[in-house]
Amino acid sequence: MHPIIRLVNRNLTISLNKGFLIWQIVFPLIYIFVAGFAYTSLIHSVPFGNKSLDYPAFIASGMIGFNIMNSTLISGIIIWNDRRHGMFEQILVGPFTRAHYILSNIYTIGIVGLISAALITAVGYPLFFKSVEFNFYTIPLVVFASVTGSILFGSIASIISTRLQSSEGFNVVINTAFLFFAFVSTAFYPAQGAPEPLSTAFYLNPLTYLVDVVRAGIFGNFSTFVGIEMTVLVVVALILFTISTKLLSKLEI
Amino acid sequence: MSCIVANLLTKSYGSIMAVDGIDLSVNSGKIFGFLGPNGAGKTTTIKLLTTLIVPTSGTINILGMDAIRHPLDVRKKIGVVLQQPSYEPTLSVEKSLEKYGMMWNVERKTRNDRVEELLSAFDLQEIRKMKNDDLSIGQRRRVQVAREFMHDMELLFLDEPTVGLDPSARRGLLDFIKKKVKEGLTIFFTTHILNEAEYLCDEVAIINKGKIIAVDTPNELKNKFGREKTIKIRIPETKKDVQGLLIDVKDYEIDFNSGTNITIRSNDSEEVLLKILQILTVNNISIEDLSVMPTTLEEIFLTVVKNSNASNN
Repeated sequence: MHPIIRLVNRNLTISLNKGFLIWQIVFPLIYIFVAGFAYTSLIHSVPFGNKSLDYPAFIASGMIGFNIMNSTLISGIIIWNDRRHGMFEQILVGPFTRAHYILSNIYTIGIVGLISAALITAVGYPLFFKSVEFNFYTIPLVVFASVTGSILFGSIASIISTRLQSSEGFNVVINTAFLFFAFVSTAFYPAQGAPEPLSTAFYLNPLTYLVDVVRAGIFGNFSTFVGIEMTVLVVVALILFTISTKLLSKLEI
Repeated sequence: MSCIVANLLTKSYGSIMAVDGIDLSVNSGKIFGFLGPNGAGKTTTIKLLTTLIVPTSGTINILGMDAIRHPLDVRKKIGVVLQQPSYEPTLSVEKSLEKYGMMWNVERKTRNDRVEELLSAFDLQEIRKMKNDDLSIGQRRRVQVAREFMHDMELLFLDEPTVGLDPSARRGLLDFIKKKVKEGLTIFFTTHILNEAEYLCDEVAIINKGKIIAVDTPNELKNKFGREKTIKIRIPETKKDVQGLLIDVKDYEIDFNSGTNITIRSNDSEEVLLKILQILTVNNISIEDLSVMPTTLEEIFLTVVKNSNASNN
């Protein structure tokens, strides 16, 4: 078995514990079914391209991107735990290189991101099935968004985990950063109608691009703007991945 | 055949020379002890030899391979138990052994057999289902050392492996290591518990301030640095002035605590002993107890390090 596959196997084993899985499923379910239906009386419909989505369908599709982002937290947690519990050094005196370690993390978050997206798509399907337009061209969009988004947010989590020394600092920074990404984005509400500074801030946030591409995939609403968003996602993901790889390569032992 | 050869190995961090031009040669199938006070350079040397860090200068050859140019090839053939704890907090003891074997690409059947063997050998059966996070420091250390035997290797580096272990677990581990060496494994072992090194090692090197200051077998080191022997004689309480009787004898100390205790510390301890025995016999003083304290590696270690510090100053 290739060293990277062995490390991915190990990463999945140590990360996918019951607590994480429950959190991964229950947390978005609360948003979809509680917030989704509770806000329906306030937000009757959300315009999306040439469609009009009801709010539960809108938030359910947003939760796919949100969950992809949340699941990639494990990338940071794996690195953080490995450094804290001595496994980083132990792996590097074993039959692995730093490149194996870095790539295994990327594959791990890619897998977790895809599974997470599939899970929320399955759970949210009853809510958005009326508007769904899955076809040969749109499903790859969701897969693309899952993988690129996983790499992007996984790299952010990795960067934070390599730069911070204390567990308190790690938790505070990662929670603050991910809270900002979650709520200053189009995952929960549309950019149209939001106050100008806020709607601008939405588009400084990669989660907005990720969620927009996922929605374009689900509701079959591909446009030039979505194409630009995909390009931005790829470029930002590549830059962040390069930074996180360099930081991990230079991480002192 | 040497399985570790290092020449003029140095590692500096800024102006601090952690390892200062050391030469090492470790023979296959032996236990090589690497001793030194705290901060002497033991762990840095292990990190260099295990390819975890790159030397500032010098060469390292491990199992016939250039460790600087082919670190991955070297790591595939060695095992390493680092000084710092390393564990997967969310995994149970047996699962962490099994997963570690998987990481080393050990076949599933062999993995399962080895898990059972190591759980028994390291007395981990009772805690096999417990998570690493819930273990005591000593239990975690036992798991960490046991885990390294999940995979095949030709050379094992143990950096203070008995830290945190109770005496029985410590002895169990040392005996397990001896057994593995009989089966052909070579061990590079650092410790500052010197009776462990004496019990275990075929050869020892003493490092101080980044330099190796002595290398030999424990017995040869004793011969070189440990000629001074300690002999203790105990005599019953007597009205005679024992100190006055021994006035012409050198290299002894006397104390009067529930009888009279005479301690000889000399390079010519046999000669001093003979003189004292003659005086005691002539004066009809009986001997209650007589014991010869062999020179320990600890005494040699302290002597060698003290001499090294003195010559540096």
